Amino acid sequence: MISFKNVNKWYGDLHVLNKIDLEVAQGEVVVVCGPSGSGKSTLIRCINRLEPIQEGELIVDNMNVHDKKANMTQIRAEIGFIFQSFNLYPHMTALGNVTIAPIRVRKIQKEEAEKLGRETLTRVGLGDRINNYPAQLSGGQQQRVAIARGLCMNPKIMLFDEPTSALDPEMIGEVLDVMRDLAEGGMTMIVVTHEMGFAREVANRVVFMDEGKIIEVAPPNDFFTNPQTERGKAFLSSILSH
Amino acid sequence: MWGFYFQELMHSLPFFLKGVWMTVAVAGLSLLAGTIIGFIAGIIRAGRNKILRAIIGAWVDLIRGTPFLVQVFIIFFILPSAGIELEAFPAAVIALSNLTASFICEIVVSGILAVPKGQREAATASGLSQYQQLRFIVLPQAMRTIMPPLVGQYVLLVKDSSVVSAIGVVDITRVGWLTVQRIPEGMMVFGLVGLLYFAICYPMINLSGYLERRMTVVTTKL
Repeated sequence: MISFKNVNKWYGDLHVLNKIDLEVAQGEVVVVCGPSGSGKSTLIRCINRLEPIQEGELIVDNMNVHDKKANMTQIRAEIGFIFQSFNLYPHMTALGNVTIAPIRVRKIQKEEAEKLGRETLTRVGLGDRINNYPAQLSGGQQQRVAIARGLCMNPKIMLFDEPTSALDPEMIGEVLDVMRDLAEGGMTMIVVTHEMGFAREVANRVVFMDEGKIIEVAPPNDFFTNPQTERGKAFLSSILSH
Repeated sequence: MWGFYFQELMHSLPFFLKGVWMTVAVAGLSLLAGTIIGFIAGIIRAGRNKILRAIIGAWVDLIRGTPFLVQVFIIFFILPSAGIELEAFPAAVIALSNLTASFICEIVVSGILAVPKGQREAATASGLSQYQQLRFIVLPQAMRTIMPPLVGQYVLLVKDSSVVSAIGVVDITRVGWLTVQRIPEGMMVFGLVGLLYFAICYPMINLSGYLERRMTVVTTKL
């Protein structure tokens, strides 16, 4: 579904993605973790070309994302992207937020899109918040609207960039629950997160990154109980110690 | 004597109303053209094309860095030597539109740049085109920042329009100049001139203040 082949990216002298090779199969849930500045966010932002890559090949759903001729509208329509800071449109209601792309990009009729929007918002537990503006919602609710916004495009892939990092602790659970449901429904997901409980429970594989490189790829149980690298051990002890 | 001049001035009122009409015509047309050009220039200047950005930036600096009276003279007196003859009225509208557009351009740029980057990223990620992002996501949010100074700029436009009296456009100011030659009570004549400008501008000042309060409330709510 997603295939990185020897992908390299630099910000000036900084080698943010260093020879990345990674295959993600359909229906797979991959958690990406690592210290800050390790390139995790950049890795997933390249998948829908929010960031360009300088070398290598990145294939998503049989389309070469970084080909200049690539139809990015089509590729992006197939990929939901969830941001750490939600990025809901503040001038639109929850329903407006989730229906704008289906109407404008998928060219679905407004009535049909609104029906889909209501169903999707209900699915993430916000059936009673349809006409609220983002400012009237809690952080957890906003992030669930953002997930619904992604889902309304009926994407093949969902990418999550630290979806719970900006949330108050008591709201993390409601967002992770929605993500867990998605994973169980067979969605292909790449999740950048520090929620190791979620990773352990839901992920098929954990990718550990440091300094732009993939250091380890392993099933969560193996990675958490028996990391193969020193850096992996050091990272785990630093996040598990508090 | 004062009473006599006052009566004379009252007899000149229709002349003053013609001046008001001319001021409204010059300012109104310039407002329309300046807004359209200013928004287009601002959207381009907030965009990606470095060359266009630099060209518009140079134009804005040039217009903001020279006196408006000089700009009016260049358009009215100097362009004819290059073969472009203009009547006073179109010359005034062109000069004033140009001035207003350059200021509105900067207002639009700061409005667009005030929209958080994440808004565009979210719109890009969902597949919206550049145009759709601007139309549905960026501009509606930027308008909150743009509206109060925009109306403020319109007030300045009405007042700046008095400068075009210098090339013979018979606006309120020019009517004042002409009248004061018959009625040598400068205080009285230009008092009326000031009052007429104020009557046009005051509702706009109130509108600007109202928008500022309203937009601030909305923004903090969000």
